[in-house]
Order: sequence, then structure tokens, then C-alpha cells
Amino acid sequence: MQERGNVLRIFQETKKAVEIGDSAKIKNLGNQTNNTAALTQDPDNIAAAVIVYSLSKIIERQDYKKLPGWNKFYGIYMGAIDGIIGALKRDDDAAYDKNISVIRIAIEHLSGKLRIYIQDVFRKADINRASKLYEHGLSMEKTASLLGISLFELADYAGSKGLADAPQIKTVDVKARIKMAMEMFE
Amino acid sequence: MKPQKSKSNQTERAIVFDSGVLISFSMNGITDIIRRLKGIFPGRFLITSEVKREVIDVPLGIKKFELEALKIKALLDDGVLEVPGSLGIKDSEIEKWDNEILGIANSTFNGEGKEIHILDHGEASCLALSKILTDRGIKNLVAIDERTTRLLVERPENLKGIFEERMNTKITIKTQNLKFFRDFRIIRSAELAYVAYKKDLLDLRNGLVLDALLYALKFKGAAISGDEIEQIKKLA
Repeated sequence: MQERGNVLRIFQETKKAVEIGDSAKIKNLGNQTNNTAALTQDPDNIAAAVIVYSLSKIIERQDYKKLPGWNKFYGIYMGAIDGIIGALKRDDDAAYDKNISVIRIAIEHLSGKLRIYIQDVFRKADINRASKLYEHGLSMEKTASLLGISLFELADYAGSKGLADAPQIKTVDVKARIKMAMEMFE
Repeated sequence: MKPQKSKSNQTERAIVFDSGVLISFSMNGITDIIRRLKGIFPGRFLITSEVKREVIDVPLGIKKFELEALKIKALLDDGVLEVPGSLGIKDSEIEKWDNEILGIANSTFNGEGKEIHILDHGEASCLALSKILTDRGIKNLVAIDERTTRLLVERPENLKGIFEERMNTKITIKTQNLKFFRDFRIIRSAELAYVAYKKDLLDLRNGLVLDALLYALKFKGAAISGDEIEQIKKLA
């Protein structure tokens, strides 16, 4: 895994933030993992970005905590975060992957509304993280392939976020591009 | 509606479509505009196998996007879109250049000692096909909505700026790589919509139709700013 020390710090700080219910801090940590993921494109870094960002979304939803199955799921999630921290400290990539899988499997074992909600959080986290990688300058197709999402989902999400209004995306003069298009049809 | 036959030589020019443009049109339910544009276009609308996989084969397996995939498939089935084989261009030839382009593009920007892999096979295959067409003397444009490839071709220093700002790190560019990308010519779904408007190919008769079309495309992923839309409207 690349950037192991940085990912370890992020998970350690995430755990502390969860203990005090600071979802804004967790979201910020999720963005930090995204910077790392954009540069390295390491699947382990990308998984970390999704796990941390999803946690920030789950923690901020008080209503989830009243749903059946919450306590068990939360226990598994936090146990997996401990497992991830331990694995990173030991340089044990297999244990890291296993603990990431524990969270995904726990979601599959949920039932009722909580399952639907949590699955939705993770799906949206995949798309959101993908959108962030696109924002970081990777191409749309590169980003979609890294996160395993469809280009349709990414286009829809990226379009709604106004990423195209950043001043850096302006390149060729509008008139010149229109002329190029019109001339092809003459 | 089947495209009309063009009177001109069908192979003298071509537009190579990337996934994003087809996605923008299909998600807005306006693939008919592509049909009508083909009807007046003296050449071919082409998609690579890689783009076909991304906009037809993969989404046909996703219920949420199955309908969009079917709309694009219909364009291919009806001959509005064609595969490069129709010009005698083999997939293996595109693949060769696709890999070459990926190698160059993905080793151009470097941050903290790491090459930043910016492109994937879809975009690279479009540039590969464009290069092959140019080498054969066929005038062509690449229709591409996503911003990274466009920036790489037209203003790579802006891409460097985005990386540095977003990744919070110093980025170096292998400048000798950039000359490879300079000659590609890119349009977006927005320019195609403009052509359709100017050529009177739209059914809607309303003063707001161009504005509505351009914003609809923007909201489905076309990398066009609000300022650019306003400028395009002034040209109409």
C-alpha cells in the first residue's frame, strides 16, 4: 500500500472524531484521503477514502441509530476500523483488506431499512469520491474505472456539481470552437 | 428516423464520439439530434469498441441506465454511428495507438515522484482513432465532453494547475510529451447542439431552446461553463 503512514494517521484521527461524534472532522479526513488517492490511484487508498467518507455520512444521521441492527453494525464497523489501524501499524496488507471486507460484508448482512440506507450511503460515497477524483484532474473514464461505477452515474453527478465552472477549464475561445464545428458540417 | 444519405464522399471527414457526449445526449432524451446531425453531415460518426463497451455493453446490464444504452444502441444499429471497421480500420490498429497514447499521457504529469495516470482506454481510443484518420488524410474532430482530455490537448498547463491546487503538491510536466497532443481538434456536445440549432434541426420552436439545450447538456456532465453558454447564445 502507498502512503501507509498518512492513511494510518487518517484512520486514527477518524476513530477519535467518531468517539466525539464530529462528522465534519471525519468528512475533512475523508477529503484528505481523496488527495492521496488521486495521486497514488492505489485501490487501498481509494477504499480508505470511501470508508472514511461513508462513516462521516453515517455518523451525522441520528435516525439510523434508532433502527434495528444499528448497534451490531456500528460495533462491527468500529471493530473493523480498529482492525485497519492495527493492520496499518503492522504493515499487514492482507489484514487491511480483510477489515475493509468486514465492513462490506456487514452491510450485506443488514436487513430492512438500515440495509437500504447504508447501501445507499456507500453507493453515494463511491460516486462522491469518484466525482472528487474527477475534480482532482483525472479523466471521467479513468475515475469511473477506479471506483467501479458507471460513466452515466459519474456524468450525472459531476454535471450537478458545477465543476465545469472552474476558470481553469476554459481553453479554446468559444467562437473558434463553434467555427470548427460549423465548418465540419459545411 | 433513418439518417439521410449525404451527397458528398462519406469518408472525407469524420467525427469521433467519446462516451461523455453520447451519455449527455441520451440522458437528456435527445439522441434524435444526433440522427438529424448525421443526416446533414458529409462524413461518418464513429465510435471505438472501447466507447461502445462503455455506453452500450456495460450499461445494458444496469437497469438504471438500460434505456439510455438502448437509445445509443439504436444509433449504432441504424448506422448513425459506425465502427471504425466501416473504414477498414482494425481494432488492433486502434489498440496499438491507444496503448501508445496512454503511455504518453499517463507519464506526462508527475507529483511526489509518481506519474499521475490521467486517462483511460475510452478517451485514449478516441484520440487513437483521430490520429489514424488524420494519418489517412481524413479530416476529423473528436467530440468529447469531459475536461481532462480536452485540457491535455488544448491547455495542459491548466491541468497542472488543477493538480497542484487539488492535490496540494508540486507537479512537474514532461513537456516533450505535450507535442503529441497538440494537433487533435476537439468539440463538445454543446457545439453539436449549436450546429443543430443553427441548421434548424430542432423540433422545439422557442426562443429559449438553445439555452435549455446547453444547460441540459451541462447538467449531464458536459464540461462547459455558464459563461461559455452565454457566449454561445450571443453567437446564435
